[in-house]
Amino acid sequence: MIQLRKVKKVYPGDPPVLQDVTLKVDKGEFIWLTGPSGAGKSTLLRLLFAAEQPTSGQILIGGRNIGKLGQAAIPYLRRNIGIVFQDFKLLENRTVLENVGYALEVLGASDADIRERARKRLDQVGLAHKSASLPRRLSGGEQQRVAIARALVNEPTILLADEPTGNLDPSLTDSILQLLFNANARGTTVVVATHDRTLLQRWHRRTVGLEHGKLVFDA
Amino acid sequence: MIAHVAFRLSRRAAVNLWRARLPSLVSVLTIGLALFIGTAFVLGLLTARSLLTSWGAQASMTLYLDPALAEGRAQQIAQQLRARGDLEVQYVPPAAALQRLRADLGELGSALEGLTQNPLPPSLEIRPRQPLPGAAARVLAAEMGEIEGVRDVEFGREWLEKLEALGRGLRAFGAGALLAVIGAALLVVANTIRLAVYARRDEIEIMKLVGATDGYVRAPFLMEGALQGLLGATIAVGAVFGAQRWLLPRAAQAFEFAAGVSAPHLLPLHGAAILAGGALVGFFGSWIAVARFLKT
Repeated sequence: MIQLRKVKKVYPGDPPVLQDVTLKVDKGEFIWLTGPSGAGKSTLLRLLFAAEQPTSGQILIGGRNIGKLGQAAIPYLRRNIGIVFQDFKLLENRTVLENVGYALEVLGASDADIRERARKRLDQVGLAHKSASLPRRLSGGEQQRVAIARALVNEPTILLADEPTGNLDPSLTDSILQLLFNANARGTTVVVATHDRTLLQRWHRRTVGLEHGKLVFDA
Repeated sequence: MIAHVAFRLSRRAAVNLWRARLPSLVSVLTIGLALFIGTAFVLGLLTARSLLTSWGAQASMTLYLDPALAEGRAQQIAQQLRARGDLEVQYVPPAAALQRLRADLGELGSALEGLTQNPLPPSLEIRPRQPLPGAAARVLAAEMGEIEGVRDVEFGREWLEKLEALGRGLRAFGAGALLAVIGAALLVVANTIRLAVYARRDEIEIMKLVGATDGYVRAPFLMEGALQGLLGATIAVGAVFGAQRWLLPRAAQAFEFAAGVSAPHLLPLHGAAILAGGALVGFFGSWIAVARFLKT
């Protein structure tokens, strides 16, 4: 599903952020991407959803080299990738339902279809009763569940999560991770970047370690 | 699908305009003012040009005849020219010309007393019945010069050429001023939309993350820009039409001396063109603002 071949990312004037990273993630896999701050985890995720291009090497998503995608093709790649961020990235002036439906709006879905599918996803993350609320009325954990619902609403084949529990109270971590595991159980390939080693110890999954931009272990 | 996406984008553009109504209003008023000044300026220049053209077109022509030409033959030429139907022709015999010169010189006219013979040739003064543009006046002068018995044709060539040069200058200046006005309106829209884009940068980032194409991101901003331009142009056209209703009847007398030339005024077709132009200026101003943002 995801293949990286000798991927390198360098910003001019700085040491390499990623060096010779080679990695293969199969369809339906769940992997932890771990390492200390500055190891290159977020950059690797950004490369996967084509927010940036690698300096060298190849990235294949579903067999397609995304380095060769034109600018116009990138939105279509992203429609198959759900993304969850540490800071949720919700629109403050839109309701929970509208935030979730936003990913369907850009696909050109009808209003009725958007409402139905967004409600269904909100139900799955346990927030159907908060459909009409604005994000600022929700707790951090609830906001992250809305962000996960938005990432999953158009049923992507890949879900990328960058420190999804980083801003949350530890008591909320399990419920958030459970949503990601549920998505994985439904067949979505999930890559979660985290620096929190306690998560890896509690939830045993394939773990890929990065340090100073190098892949240091894959277990 | 296209219809409901278009409706959704239009609705978003309208909502966004409403949410940012103060900057939008400032933008609309600035565009309106720029287009009003530009239109009024161009109309003023066109008025000046048509006055110049009419003055040039009224220029009469004098055909100096061979002094040895018999008066009968001169009258015959005059008759032939009158028969064309497009010219008023007056024969001026040498004696009448001398008398006119004496009158024109006033007190200095006594200097002519010492002349033993009249040095002035007979002439024909001709005046086109319809105003002639410069090029046609030159053709007519050349034609007159070929008539047997005509020694020289005087039609104020230098004056006509100066008027024409002035007209060309005004046209170039008007085009430059129009471009400057359009450029200023573009900048106004581009800056307003840039602020709107900046204020909604989070929304744009999220749109792009969930797979919105650049076109989808851009569309509401383009609609907002076009709408601002259209509203600004509506204000400008309304103001120009209003000014015309008030000003033109009062200016009519001032133009009567110019051989029936009326001040150029805005026709409904011109108004429609300005409205379309305003919308286009708004559209491209937004395009510039959003393109810069989408690149970064």
